[in-house]
Amino acid sequence: MKKIILAAAIAVALSSAASAQTVRLGTEGAYAPWNFIDDSGKLAGFEIDLGNELCKRAAIECEFVANEWDSIIPNLIAGNYDAIIAGMSITEERKESIDFTQDYYPSDASRYAMAAGANIDFDNLSGIKIGVQGATIHASYVEANLAANNTVLSYETADQSVADLVAGNIDVLLADGSFLDPIIEASSGALKFGGPDILLGGGVGLGLRKGDDDLEAKLNAAIDEVKADGTLDALIAKWFEKGPFYSN
Amino acid sequence: MPDWLTNIIGQDLSDGLAYITNGKHMMWYASFRFTIFAGIFGALCALTFGLLGAIMLNSNFFLFRLIGAAYANVVRGVPDVLFFLFFPLAFEQGVEYFLAKSNCTADELAANIGNWPPCPDAQWFLGTNEYLILASVSLGIVYGAFCANVIHGAMKSVNKGQLEAAKAYGMKPMQVMLRVHIPQMWIYALPGLSNIWMLLVKATSLLSLLQIADIVLWADRLGAPNYLKQVGLVHPDWRWKYYLVLFLFYILVTFLSERAFAYLRKKTGKGMVDEAVL
Repeated sequence: MKKIILAAAIAVALSSAASAQTVRLGTEGAYAPWNFIDDSGKLAGFEIDLGNELCKRAAIECEFVANEWDSIIPNLIAGNYDAIIAGMSITEERKESIDFTQDYYPSDASRYAMAAGANIDFDNLSGIKIGVQGATIHASYVEANLAANNTVLSYETADQSVADLVAGNIDVLLADGSFLDPIIEASSGALKFGGPDILLGGGVGLGLRKGDDDLEAKLNAAIDEVKADGTLDALIAKWFEKGPFYSN
Repeated sequence: MPDWLTNIIGQDLSDGLAYITNGKHMMWYASFRFTIFAGIFGALCALTFGLLGAIMLNSNFFLFRLIGAAYANVVRGVPDVLFFLFFPLAFEQGVEYFLAKSNCTADELAANIGNWPPCPDAQWFLGTNEYLILASVSLGIVYGAFCANVIHGAMKSVNKGQLEAAKAYGMKPMQVMLRVHIPQMWIYALPGLSNIWMLLVKATSLLSLLQIADIVLWADRLGAPNYLKQVGLVHPDWRWKYYLVLFLFYILVTFLSERAFAYLRKKTGKGMVDEAVL
């Protein structure tokens, strides 16, 4: 047992030595075009480009780590990585456990997607099946406001929720407009938007452990820079044709 | 794909071949190493724990028998998924408890009541390798309990005359155990052990529960529908195709295992007195 503890202690010493040199960025890798695994098997997407740009400007060495969405905050706190860059909206609820940088993607409306033939009375939602990705702002919203009269199905990944919408297992799907937009366009008329746009969350920011003020200051300064010189808007344009943008 | 190959097999097949050999798929194929490692290392652990458990069950000393019986019966009753989640977490926090005792200052401990770990120095980071070893040990503990039972039964089946003869030659109890009892026990244990091996192989599909990017996790990722051209090939939900490949992999493992156990049975049966079991 002593040997195991010793080995563990050495492992800890080694891993903390490694993390002193590089900042590890945790992302999901299953939320295209924000972050995903490309054909070559590497992480790619808007947030990978942005993360690399921010690290370059802040003069820190960065490394990406893929982590499942539903454990992404606990594993940040546990120290498996130093920041979350995974399309995470800044909310009061999350601020109780972690800190956020300023937003790097403007507050984006959440929207309902449904089959093209669906006819749903959004003023009086009851008795329908609503899909959301678990542990998201949409899941909290639906749980709080719509769970009483409807069936809520929560999915581990956003892809699975879309697959179930296409398969007809849920009536509507509530998700980020920016995520649904290209999917509805690519569905060639099989899916449509409907109902009201819902404003949840205060933009998307990087999540940090509480008290990691040094890293927060560096990243905030870098975000200020990319906002000011238009780099951020160019990246948004590259990955989300329609924006939303910071400049008008 | 080179042109000459495309000319032979046609454009569609060539595109398909290029797709299933791209980097993403290569990572899937590479992830089979985790499953194979967990199977082999898990089986070795299970055999070790099983032998120890069986020796305890066979012991003349009451306390050892009690420990052996408790291990074989309690662990066999706990679902493997539950144990798989429980053991690595409990082990990690156990290590962190000791680290906290030696590395954290009293002030940090007082300030962080209710938080885990209590200070950054007590944090033990678990990567894929650590999880893989802990997962294999969990498999070993769970299936070791079944092995203990099987081996215990097999040891009881060894011809008493053989053991008495060994004793008559003046061997000490330990020598009887190592030179006669255990070597002759295998032939009786093999049918039961081959069943346990099959169960253990099936349980290796649980690795993704511990954040290991194993064959099941990659099958999920690759099969998930894709709607965006920027991401790669646009396709609907293809998970069933990938799961089918995993079915075939596990059936292949079953087939090879059958052959291997048939060989072992022949080998361990050599020179056995009790021909009836062969």
